[in-house]
Amino acid sequence: MERRTFMKGTFALATIGLLNPVLFRHGLAAEDAIEMPYKELLDEYLGGKKSEDGSTIMSLNIPDAPENGAVVPVEVTINYPMTADNYIANITVLTTKNKANKALSFDLTPANGMAYLYVNVKMGQTQDVVILAKTNKGKIFQTSKNVRVALGGCG
Amino acid sequence: MELRGVVKILEQNYKVGDIVKAKIIVIHKMDTGFTKDKESGKQFPRFYMKEITATYNGQVVAHFDLDVATSQNPVIQFPLKVTGPGELVVDFVNSENEKAQKKVKLSPDA
Repeated sequence: MERRTFMKGTFALATIGLLNPVLFRHGLAAEDAIEMPYKELLDEYLGGKKSEDGSTIMSLNIPDAPENGAVVPVEVTINYPMTADNYIANITVLTTKNKANKALSFDLTPANGMAYLYVNVKMGQTQDVVILAKTNKGKIFQTSKNVRVALGGCG
Repeated sequence: MELRGVVKILEQNYKVGDIVKAKIIVIHKMDTGFTKDKESGKQFPRFYMKEITATYNGQVVAHFDLDVATSQNPVIQFPLKVTGPGELVVDFVNSENEKAQKKVKLSPDA
C-alpha cells in the first residue's frame, strides 16, 4: 500500500471517530451498552402484524407500586389451551421506558402443559410492563400494566 | 468466576400427568453497560446472563433469552408437565460464553 493511500485512510477513520462520538464511544464491542427503544422491539416482535387485546385471557400479578425498581416480580398466567397443534409458543416481557427494554423471551412447547411465567424485572422509573404472547400460528396477544416505581433500579 | 445457580421443583408431591412449577435462580450480575462506578467514573461493561435452556428427558421444554432489563440475580418460574421419572437439566450461558449446568431429579409418586 502506498503511503498516501494509507494516510488518507487513517485520516478518514479518525474523522469518522471525531464526528461520530456515539459510534466512537459505544463502538461495536459486545460488552458495550446497547440502547433498545421499546418501539423498535415491539415492531420487531410484531413483524408488521397487529396484536390482539390479551387482557381477557391473560391474568397478570404485578404489584402496583413495588418498593424497589431493581426487583419487580412479574407473574403472568395465560388462559389458553396447550394442545399439540394450538399453543402459546412464546411469551416476551418488555418495559417501555428503560434504556434497554427487553427483559425476557420464553419459548414454550405443549410439554409445559400451561402458559405461565414468573420473572423479576428491573425498572428505572414509573412505566408500563408489556406482556406479548405469540401462538404457534402467529397470533399475537398484548397486554400491559402501569407500575409506579419510587426508587429506580438503575435500568 | 464460576456461575452459580439453583433449579428446584416447587411442588413436593406430584403424579404423572400433573403440571408442576420449576424454579430457576441464577446468581449473576445483570449490568446494562449504562451504569458508572461512583468513585472512578468508569463504566461497568455490559455483562449479563444470556440464555437458559431446560431439557427434560432429552426434550427441550423451555428456552429463555434474557436481556439486561431482567433484574440482578434472575429468578424464573415456568410450568412443566410431568410425563414420568427423569431429570430436568438446565444449561446456563452468560454474555461471556461461560457455561454451567444444573440438574434436578423428578420422581413422581406412584
